Amino acid sequence: MIEIQNLSKRYYHSHYSQSDDHWVLKDINLTIPTGVSVGLVGANGAGKSTLLRLIAGMDTPQKGRVIRHSKVSWPIGLAAGLQSSMTGRQNVKFVARMHGTEYDINSIIERVQDFAEIGSAFDEPIRTYSSGMRSRLNFGLSLAFDFDVYLSDEATAVGDRSFKAKASKAFKDKVGQASLIMVSHGEGILKELCQAGIYLKEGQAYWYDNIHDAIKAYHADSDGPQLDNMTLPALQKLRKERRAVMEDAKLAREAAETLPPREKKPYGDALRAAREALREVREEIQSRQERASRITEDAQGE
Amino acid sequence: MASDMNDDMSGEMNTPSERPSGDKKSGPKARSAWAVTRSVWFAMFMREAIGRTMTDRMGWFWMIAEPAMFLLLMIGIRSFIRGDKLIVNAPFIPWMLVGMMGFFLIREGMMQGLGAINANKALFAYRQVHPVDGVFVRNALDGLIRTLIFLLFMLGGLMLGTDFRPDNGFQAIGGWLSLWLFGLGLGLVTSVLGTLVPEVSKIIRMLNMPLLILSGVIMPLNQLPHYLLEYLMLNPIVHGLEYIRHGFFDGYQVVHGTSLTYFWAWTLSSLALGLLMHVRFKERLKSQ
Repeated sequence: MIEIQNLSKRYYHSHYSQSDDHWVLKDINLTIPTGVSVGLVGANGAGKSTLLRLIAGMDTPQKGRVIRHSKVSWPIGLAAGLQSSMTGRQNVKFVARMHGTEYDINSIIERVQDFAEIGSAFDEPIRTYSSGMRSRLNFGLSLAFDFDVYLSDEATAVGDRSFKAKASKAFKDKVGQASLIMVSHGEGILKELCQAGIYLKEGQAYWYDNIHDAIKAYHADSDGPQLDNMTLPALQKLRKERRAVMEDAKLAREAAETLPPREKKPYGDALRAAREALREVREEIQSRQERASRITEDAQGE
Repeated sequence: MASDMNDDMSGEMNTPSERPSGDKKSGPKARSAWAVTRSVWFAMFMREAIGRTMTDRMGWFWMIAEPAMFLLLMIGIRSFIRGDKLIVNAPFIPWMLVGMMGFFLIREGMMQGLGAINANKALFAYRQVHPVDGVFVRNALDGLIRTLIFLLFMLGGLMLGTDFRPDNGFQAIGGWLSLWLFGLGLGLVTSVLGTLVPEVSKIIRMLNMPLLILSGVIMPLNQLPHYLLEYLMLNPIVHGLEYIRHGFFDGYQVVHGTSLTYFWAWTLSSLALGLLMHVRFKERLKSQ
């Protein structure tokens, strides 16, 4: 079980950054039960990797905390935990030693070698590895230890087909002993390996007991509102909102008139986008009204 | 592998009632924080040791050749200018070698600190590893290597017939360990400063050469006029070097005003400051 309490995280970019009031994660409360594999979905920059790093204890939140009641791995992924100047074998030795004397280094090395199947490259520096070889090694390394929860940040994204199959088989074999928290844009693998889902949006996390629902919610938001399915009053409301946005954009554009062209451009783009959005809604309303009047005309004609 | 092993690989197994703060302490089945730290240090030490000695071409050779060549060069210059009769009650070559090795111990402590955090960046993926571990481990390893080299030089000197036996062994060893600790203190401070403010590392590199001369490694400071000495003695390295030299050569006249208390005040302050900075900036160092 992993408890997440009032978790908030923001990054400070520089002293001059204007976006300092931007929280990547804001006041998240979740409990991830034992034995349930969870998929994290959300747009780029929604905080999936950040949440994973916080769960792993790599990063410290500004507020709140993560309580781990079980053995949690490091986030397995491309960039994680391999020193590029050392060979694969030396990296494996390092991690085995770090995890204490209970582990027999030689058996760990054997297990990693068996899983990673990178042959003689095992004794070459990591910097000579391809990204696929790196993720094989990192994955095999984490599997060599008996964690309760494995964290995966796109760990299988660069793997070839056989590696992906092998990775998911390894996890299926671990069902009952270990669970998985994974970030992936591959929805197939999420559906295959995870039961529950967390959808991250605007700093908030939404828990879904079923990964399919989480993916559905993500799709619904990323595709934008479906105008065809909306009722007329809702459309009117949306039109008002979009008109307000458009007016704002217009004012901003006028205010920016004195700026040099390069800086003026974003305002122009914003105005154009706002106009386009408003037109969309207007056309939808218009077409519906026409349809409605045609129906009434037809009714009167009869 | 036994599934009932009583080890928590995260070092952080905990229940909320026992572990309100969520920091690294032992839970019922967990390794203690100290045990985790020990194995991290061990793992990092082995890694650094292999990296230092094996990955560089002729790593071992340069470790000995670099100070030896520097020494030969300096001796050449000195004997060309003045000859050997320079230092009261101490043979010149051992005198300079002791100062040089002591100075290098501090300098390398400082320089190793500069790179320690960036070099171990990849390892911060494991929550067990803290930025300060890298500095400790590097400094310990570097000190050990330098101790070994120093002993080799002493042995060589004795075999060549120079008087290289320390007259006061305890003082010599104490001085050596003090210099080592001061190097660690400086390394802790520079590791934080140099990582957060990259310009600092350039300045520290620039300071190296003047510091070598100002610390009285090559030329004895005794002959300098008093008004200059007053300022030079603010430099704590002089105090440490003079102390260890006095341990080697009993009748050696240390520079007036040498005080080990002053040196230790610097050592302890730099250690405290460095550790505090590591606590304060841990997160920023990790995310650098």
